[in-house]
Amino acid sequence: MYKLDFVTKTFHKGQMNVIALNDVNLDIADGEWLAVQGRTGHGKTTLLYTLGALDRPTSGTVEFDGQDLSRLTEAQLTQIRASSIGFIFQTFNLIPTLSALENVESALIPLGVKTDERRDRAARTLADLGLGNRLRHLPAELSGGQQQRVGIARALVKEPRVLLADEPTGNLDEDTRDEIISLLEKLWQDHGLTLVIVTHDTSVARRAQRIATVSHGKVTFRTQEG
Amino acid sequence: MFFLTYLRRELRHRARQGLVIAVGLAVGIGLVVVVTAAADGVRNAQAAVLHALYGVGTDITVTTPGGKAPSHTSGSGAFDSPGQNAQHVDQLGAEIGLVDESFVSRIAHLHDVAATVGGLADLTDTSLTIPSLKQLGPGGKPPASALNPVEFSVDAIDTAHTQLGPYASGTLSSGRGFRASDAHAYVAVVDYDYAAAHKITAGSSVTVAGHRFTVIGISRQPQGGGASDVYIPLAVAQQLGVGPFGASLHGMVDTIYATAASAADIATVQQEIQALLPSATVSTSSSLASAITGSLSSASSLANDLGRWLAIAVLGASFAVASLLIMAAVGRRTREFGTLKAIGWRSRRIMSQVMGESLVIGAAGAIVGTALGLGGAAVINAIAPTVSATVGLVPGSPAPENVSFNGSGSHTTPAAGYDQTVAVHMSAPVTISVIILAVVLALAGGIIAGSFGSWRAARLDPATALSRVE
Repeated sequence: MYKLDFVTKTFHKGQMNVIALNDVNLDIADGEWLAVQGRTGHGKTTLLYTLGALDRPTSGTVEFDGQDLSRLTEAQLTQIRASSIGFIFQTFNLIPTLSALENVESALIPLGVKTDERRDRAARTLADLGLGNRLRHLPAELSGGQQQRVGIARALVKEPRVLLADEPTGNLDEDTRDEIISLLEKLWQDHGLTLVIVTHDTSVARRAQRIATVSHGKVTFRTQEG
Repeated sequence: MFFLTYLRRELRHRARQGLVIAVGLAVGIGLVVVVTAAADGVRNAQAAVLHALYGVGTDITVTTPGGKAPSHTSGSGAFDSPGQNAQHVDQLGAEIGLVDESFVSRIAHLHDVAATVGGLADLTDTSLTIPSLKQLGPGGKPPASALNPVEFSVDAIDTAHTQLGPYASGTLSSGRGFRASDAHAYVAVVDYDYAAAHKITAGSSVTVAGHRFTVIGISRQPQGGGASDVYIPLAVAQQLGVGPFGASLHGMVDTIYATAASAADIATVQQEIQALLPSATVSTSSSLASAITGSLSSASSLANDLGRWLAIAVLGASFAVASLLIMAAVGRRTREFGTLKAIGWRSRRIMSQVMGESLVIGAAGAIVGTALGLGGAAVINAIAPTVSATVGLVPGSPAPENVSFNGSGSHTTPAAGYDQTVAVHMSAPVTISVIILAVVLALAGGIIAGSFGSWRAARLDPATALSRVE
């Protein structure tokens, strides 16, 4: 799925250069569940955004399904994000003026799916995640766990190849956290997705197949058994 | 449709801000509508003044200056000196320069002249009683009644050609107008206001130059003055009237009206007539328009200069504020747009969303602005302020004179000033083109504001946008 070779990402802040990723080499297999841990500011989110074609590396190559993302145009990257990559955010990032159903539909808009089919797919995805009776609710009318389920539905509805989750349980209480992680685990198993989760939570990370630790822009690994 | 749903929800969510932007645009639009309507009203008022003075269809007016009336102590030739008995005199007099009527056809034959007509435009009928010698007081002072001659203005019309000149501007409110067959008849058309003041109706009669004229119609002239009290046939006036110093009016006119073949020919025709009549005053409607002073002229400057620039400044400011507010709104939605980009939305789609919201706000501004403009114009129309137009040296107007009497006859001395001041009521007509202009401006404002916002949204880097803490 992914092959990162000597990927470096440098941010220029005035006179200072901040090296967020430093010669990262990383392979992620199809269908693998990788957890990414590390201290704040050490490059976890930058790594996630690089995998998600949201950020281009300063140097190195990022291969996704054989394509070097660093060589693609912005339009091509947008198309890959639209069709193949699902994002789940810590703060849910739902559109506040759209209902749960419409938020999930928004992921299908770039794919040009017709209205009826779009609505139908969005409704089924929400129903699969236990939100069949919350379709018309606005985000402000949903609990944190429910909002994150909507976020997950939005990521899943387009049947992506990979799910990238940035601290998906960071804003949730312990019970809801377990609920969400269990849900992601089930989806990973059922859909054969490649799942990359950035998390501070070791209990969450331990459920993944492999744990990557990012420290000062460098990546090291631990493999989980079972 | 998702686009409309998102747009509608977002506008409702930010209704207050949208309202502020729309009202800002509306104020600018409303001011443009009011100023444009006021400018149109001023132009209409100027046209009314010109039409009243000139008549519909007249491009050029030709007059000749009259000679100065000398002071005299004996009879002027118009009025006799007091005698043994009191005398009632009713005289129709012309007081400005006369031109041979043959010049009317000579001008008509000039190249680029479409039509001409001559007339006696500034006749005055004066009736008074000259006291007898016995009625004179000490030092030859006449009785009070002799100091108050009754005067009214008379305009002599070529009844075969009534389409030019100030008479042509009037509309009949009762009776009929002149026909060619009335050329030698003792018939008259009376001005509406004069008829009302003197209780004259169609079918009644008026006395002009001591002769009874049947009133065939009552004519209402457009506001702006220049109307005579009584209109009679030219041939009759030439027979009954007297010119300056008692000259005969046979075959004479004091004003020639001409129409050029096209607007482009007016200047050429003016020059040709001037060459034909070097001593004449040949004026066009544009030269008359430029001579208009008074509050109408001030209103014109106010509407066209100050008003226009004020409207442009306010409109520019409202566009700028709208752009800033929409850019700020896009800034507040950074994470939202970053998320949409992350899930695969192209910049173009996000820009169209922002632009759509701006256009709706612009449309709301157009509606409110048009309503404000209509309201402002309605206020002007309700107040209908009166403005005055003063024309120096109105073609064909006689220099006013003061008439006094002593024991040896009448004295005439020129009065100061040649100005004619007329009053017109201002209006502010709102035409469909002004409303279309308002709508176009408001939508343009929405597009300009939306363009700035869209540009900002398009430049958003999704990774940076998602990292923003809101």
